[in-house]
Amino acid sequence: MTSRLLQNFKGGRALVVIGRNGREGALESTLAKLGVTTEYPEIVGGRAQIDVGGLQPERDILFVDGDLEGAVAIEVNPASRLPPVPVIGLVGVEAPSRLKALVNLGATSFLRKPVHGGAVYTSLFMGINQFLLRSDMYARVQDLEGRRRGRRAVIRAVILLMQENGLDEEGAYSQLRRASMRARQNLELYCEEFLSRRANPPDIPGRATSTTLQGGTKQAM
Amino acid sequence: MARKHYRIGVMFSTTGSYSVVARSMLNGALLAFQEIAEAGGAVALEPVVVNPSGDLVRYRALSLELLGAGIRQVVGCYTSSSRKEVIPCFEKFDGLLWYPSHYEGFESSDNVIYTGASPNQHVLPLVDYLASRVGARAFCVGSNYIWAWENNRIFREALTARRGTVVAERYLSVGDTEFDQVISAILDQRPDFVFNNLIGTSAYAFFRAFRAACRARGIDQVNEIPVASCTLSEPELAEIGADAVDGHLSSSVYFSSLESPANAAFIQAYARAFPDGPVSSADAEASYIAVKLLAATLEQAGIDDARTVRAAVANQRLAAPQGEVRIDPQTHHAWLTPRIARSALNGQFEVLLEARNPIAPDPYLVQSSPRFASAMRSPVLRVVQS
Repeated sequence: MTSRLLQNFKGGRALVVIGRNGREGALESTLAKLGVTTEYPEIVGGRAQIDVGGLQPERDILFVDGDLEGAVAIEVNPASRLPPVPVIGLVGVEAPSRLKALVNLGATSFLRKPVHGGAVYTSLFMGINQFLLRSDMYARVQDLEGRRRGRRAVIRAVILLMQENGLDEEGAYSQLRRASMRARQNLELYCEEFLSRRANPPDIPGRATSTTLQGGTKQAM
Repeated sequence: MARKHYRIGVMFSTTGSYSVVARSMLNGALLAFQEIAEAGGAVALEPVVVNPSGDLVRYRALSLELLGAGIRQVVGCYTSSSRKEVIPCFEKFDGLLWYPSHYEGFESSDNVIYTGASPNQHVLPLVDYLASRVGARAFCVGSNYIWAWENNRIFREALTARRGTVVAERYLSVGDTEFDQVISAILDQRPDFVFNNLIGTSAYAFFRAFRAACRARGIDQVNEIPVASCTLSEPELAEIGADAVDGHLSSSVYFSSLESPANAAFIQAYARAFPDGPVSSADAEASYIAVKLLAATLEQAGIDDARTVRAAVANQRLAAPQGEVRIDPQTHHAWLTPRIARSALNGQFEVLLEARNPIAPDPYLVQSSPRFASAMRSPVLRVVQS
């Protein structure tokens, strides 16, 4: 699984949640040079008005002013700690509590206020590519977790073949491995299905399925 | 009405390893100052010339000296490393650097006006030409600093997208002239062409040594392993010398052989003003353009503070020796006309291809590359000479 590097941000949309007091500096003009349009969601009652359901990770980047406490409420995946779109923190007061709030929102890059034009490309590059990298890593972790859970099925399938066919452990394992390769499935998934086929089907609930083993909702750009 | 007087910094390394090009850049700038004085317009510009001698520390010190003396506009720098070294000074004092050289892009400081070519105006057209007419296997050589690193990266990505390959990349220190190992590696690999990003004396020594090594092995270098560059200009052909001057490909927005009344006037005035050389170059023309645009901008702005000048420079136009040039209001880079040429024995370039019109600058390759780096698009050039 190789993460591709994004270096052209054309067509992107920046949602900038910030108090419009001039501290946004050169952010909008520099983003425009990079082909990224800027929108400033309205802040009503201390909360930015963002259509979270309409956010698209391949298009949107969220810039969040760390000095606006609680202005952004987005759901961060509890397992991956990834937000729905890349988040870049805008840092004014460099206090641990405010940095922590940005980290908890899943920020993968930061920009100091007032924003200096020369820092925007680097921050965007890091923020988006770290988001992509973490998305890929999370998908990989999920895949490995699924395979780890599936090792029990491998052991059971090996024992079953040894008992039924009189094979030694190595022979049984090799047979299963060859069969899984022919079926173009990983070994764990193949063994799960191998056991399912041989089990007394109707009354054994909760059998793991390929869906749970495949896992992972990859959030790539 | 009295002419408004402005002191303008002019900072080129007229001594050091890349002094030949820098002296032609100084000449280009001084010619523009001279013409502006003779024209007697609303502004009088006084050049304050300094020479950092190719030393990055001196670039910074001299920039601070000029800005500290109240000078707000400086025309200067050739290498990207020197430009990047002085940009913080210009940002601190809110001065403007008019940077008159082609460069590798991926920069857009509010304190710089870029009158040289962006990567979509030099390296991408060259990749198109090489991949379609020369071959698919490239060997890259370059001076060991940001220009060569980044220009090679853009080149590699664009060539790879056209199913070409870079067989190797080799870097040498600026000023290094020991090429035996690199040339031996090139001849072992036998690429279809060499992509050269060496600058100054290193480049001249490489052209001579490579031609000699090929000749010693019975290789027709020009036709079998041509060398292509985005930097090579006429004063440098003179430095290479008659023995190895011909057959080199160059991608640039200006060649002194361009046939137009504006260029004829420029060449004539340049030769009259600087009979001892070095002859004109693309970067000399970019320096000339920078001073001319600066004068027009100051005339419009009526004041030389950076904020006002930055606003006034947007869409400034000039009938330059290369054709029409104008400043892009968003990026403060120039619309320029890409061309591909081949050097001849007379020390001039024969233009092979050129764009029909000036091309918009795209310093971040936003319009010229896909979202994830693979295929890159470049301007379409028309055939001038096959």
